[in-house]
Amino acid sequence: MERAANIPLAAWPVARPSDRTRVPARLFAAVLVASACLSAALASWLPLQVSIVTVFLFAGPHNWFELRYFLMRLPARFGRSRNFFAVAFAGIGVLTLGYLALPALYYTNLWSGENWPVAIATWNTLLLLWLAALVILRGKQNSRRDWSWALPAAFGLCAVNWLVPDLFSLAIVYLHPLVALWFLDRHLRRTRSEWLATYRRCLILLPLLIVGMLWQLSGTISLADDNGLAWRITQHAGGQLLPNVSTHLLVSMHVFLEMLHYGVWIIALPLIGATGAIWSTKTIPLARRRGGFPKVIAAILIGSLFIVAVLWMGFSFNYAATRDIYFAVAMAHVLAEAPFLLRMI
Amino acid sequence: MKRSLVLCAAALLLIASAVYTFGDIARPKTSPTPQPGKIVFHTGLTVATDPKAYEARLQISEETLKRLREVTANTTANPSMTQRIMQSSTRTMMAGLFMFLAISFAGVWLARSSQRRNHKIAAGIVLGVLMLSAAAVIVRANAGPPGSFRWRNLPENLSKGQATIGGLDIEIVPGDSGMKLIMPLKSEKKPGEE
Repeated sequence: MERAANIPLAAWPVARPSDRTRVPARLFAAVLVASACLSAALASWLPLQVSIVTVFLFAGPHNWFELRYFLMRLPARFGRSRNFFAVAFAGIGVLTLGYLALPALYYTNLWSGENWPVAIATWNTLLLLWLAALVILRGKQNSRRDWSWALPAAFGLCAVNWLVPDLFSLAIVYLHPLVALWFLDRHLRRTRSEWLATYRRCLILLPLLIVGMLWQLSGTISLADDNGLAWRITQHAGGQLLPNVSTHLLVSMHVFLEMLHYGVWIIALPLIGATGAIWSTKTIPLARRRGGFPKVIAAILIGSLFIVAVLWMGFSFNYAATRDIYFAVAMAHVLAEAPFLLRMI
Repeated sequence: MKRSLVLCAAALLLIASAVYTFGDIARPKTSPTPQPGKIVFHTGLTVATDPKAYEARLQISEETLKRLREVTANTTANPSMTQRIMQSSTRTMMAGLFMFLAISFAGVWLARSSQRRNHKIAAGIVLGVLMLSAAAVIVRANAGPPGSFRWRNLPENLSKGQATIGGLDIEIVPGDSGMKLIMPLKSEKKPGEE
């Protein structure tokens, strides 16, 4: 006892959380900054080539990680969230089918090209009203929240959408990748709160990089879109809607944001444990609960891996057509992010 | 409550009856109206006289011609945002309807909201809109005289052989009628005087 009392306490490191995580937080920040700068540099340097390669490599896997994540976030029993999830799943289904039906109607000459903006505006309106419904339902789950502002906000956005539906759709293309950063923020808050301040400080770099890219690329000559694939990529980035803006800038910006999006879903969230051990179904409530569906969940995940492999094969055989199909079907994952993000707020 | 319901039902009936009232009116004949032109860009014009010239000449700088080629290449594919909005009355009506709903629901939300924070947000938004409106007034106030002001002395200058400089909108019109220069000059003749 006497010997224990004589132990110099100053020699023992105090196991405070801040000390324990000081180095990893710096490392985390360094990785974030380096990844963002590298993505911006690559996207600015070779926008078309990097776009082709990143979509080929990461589009399918990032969807698989998202599916894995959503399954993990899905409660075993909906309970009070039954209405919320009913509206969420119904909206995802109807809106995805509607989105897929639009080009199908166009190509079968059942829909005139002149009515295209009206069709797009209608779909965008349904999307906004669905989002507003989800926000209000989520707000009602907590009596301290008053989220009824969602309805006037949605109506205001609907008005803007009906004035410029094509630009509104383009805004979704550019804003969707940023949602992943919000997911990361919410997860850091729950699991690595000591990294949250560092992460938010690193986010300041994002507008700086965007302004830097605008400054560097606004005067560049538009990309040569003389082949079908290059034309598709420039159109996806808004080349036709913003004719006075260099397509080099548009494609670079879009590729940069997409790279951040893929990086968050494939690297950042799995590394901080947001998706659990990817080979294990024990972290998925629907598989873990008594009377759950472990085999069904495992089959879904393995089947999804098979779809990722099919997507890679499709890209190898006909990249342009597969890219078109992918970006149409991928609307489902864009929509699915909304309810799961709302559940975390 | 009952009285309100009856009044609402009567009002709805009155509105619905308007459909039948207009249902028997023949559709107005639509006369073919000429397709309006489209201003593709703004440049400058100098009207000058040359007593030695035998034919009227239109001089276009290389840079202007280059710009003209660029904008005419995009003429059919890229209408301006205003033109895109104006082309569709359905979209304008829907935008107006949703704007109305947004303002109405925002007012209801604000009135029902008991949180001072919400009131502060609303006050901030109103202040922002007021500032933008004030800025718009200032911008308009500094907009300068209309383009026709520079051309007001054109007849006198032409008779004196002097040059007149002013702005010019290049407008692409359908048809094959050559070129037409429209000057923003008002007739000085009094009404009834020929």
